[in-house]
Amino acid sequence: MEKYLRTPIKEIIGKYPPVGALLEEYRIGCVPCSVGSCLLADIVEIHNLSPEDEGALMAGIAGIVSPGQVVALPEPRKRSPESTRKISYSPPMTALVEEHKYIKRFLAVLPAVLDRFDARSEADRALVRDGLDFVRSYADRFHHAKEEDILFACFDPGLDILKAMHEDHERGRAHVRAAGEALARCDGEGVAANLHGYAGVLEEHIRKEDEILYPWMDRNLSTRQVGELFARFRAVDERFAEDRKKYESFVERLEDAYAEPISEVK
Amino acid sequence: MMSGCPGSRTMTFAKEDDAQVPAGKVPSQLRQWPIQLHLVSPSAPYFQGADVVLAADCVPFAMGDFHNTYLKGKGLAIACPKLDGGQEIYLEKIRGLFEDAKINTLTVVIMQVPCCRGLASLALQALKESSRKVPVKSVIVSLQGEVLQEDWAAA
Repeated sequence: MEKYLRTPIKEIIGKYPPVGALLEEYRIGCVPCSVGSCLLADIVEIHNLSPEDEGALMAGIAGIVSPGQVVALPEPRKRSPESTRKISYSPPMTALVEEHKYIKRFLAVLPAVLDRFDARSEADRALVRDGLDFVRSYADRFHHAKEEDILFACFDPGLDILKAMHEDHERGRAHVRAAGEALARCDGEGVAANLHGYAGVLEEHIRKEDEILYPWMDRNLSTRQVGELFARFRAVDERFAEDRKKYESFVERLEDAYAEPISEVK
Repeated sequence: MMSGCPGSRTMTFAKEDDAQVPAGKVPSQLRQWPIQLHLVSPSAPYFQGADVVLAADCVPFAMGDFHNTYLKGKGLAIACPKLDGGQEIYLEKIRGLFEDAKINTLTVVIMQVPCCRGLASLALQALKESSRKVPVKSVIVSLQGEVLQEDWAAA
């Protein structure tokens, strides 16, 4: 089993596809991940399963990779019971999760905007232009820049989980670029396809960050680092304060115009 | 049947005298003097930009590894929210830590007894009144020194 713990997860899933389905049962979404170079041992650590779930997952994987054999399983990691799966963010992570809520609210109203979008209408094109501005400025320049320039810098840049997050950001940016190009040539289908694609990438990306990445980072940041991150995020917030109000009220106006507020993401 | 204040209820904890403990002296992690909240000043150099622990008086006695777990690398103030007078001065001092000493974080370590919650409330009140926001962590320690809860408060 030790050999598999040190093996990239995509390699294991490629050789033993039922492992992917088993991971899904524990809400570990390695199958759709486009990077997949995380080691099995790191995945178990990052997802912070309870000792019981960790033991059951490892036994299940052992049953798939070595059927009918008696395999020595690793001891589940020791940790306090209350730390398992209980998400309690530090203040800087709370700030990022709050920003996610506005991005999720934008993504929730986006299908209604795209359903009614007419590329021949200047008013509709202007609205999508504003939406792209929200995505580029609020989601990317403000929020993702906090992550990439400040938060991720606290960790080893070679970590696979960070590479996967960077790749999500780049895939999102590529969709936004393509949507902007489609808008410039009044290509309604191109705009819709790329913005739907963007929403798909970001919804999954935010879920991974809220449920897995940020809690894992909180478990690994020192008190000193939490304080420093908080101060640096506040400095960014102060620089972006006016724009932030503008973009958050844009989302609220969009919701008023297109849909009921999405209560569960508020 | 138990009655009265849980903070002053008489209890005895059975311990084995020959229980295994690491050999050798455990060095102190204290980096300053004074430490009592009435005696310290937010302008003291050891508070400037520091990570600070505000501990209830009983905590370091209950918790065997307080020095290494919470005190190491940090500034310290201690107080008793039940017995100490002049708590309005405490409020100002803690606010002074946030605003004047510009501390990086505050970790409030209290005992599980209800009266000890007052110290955490005092710190949060000071944070609310402070013009400068700082991450505040609240840690609750059992009577036998186990960490029962550790949470960041909303800044």
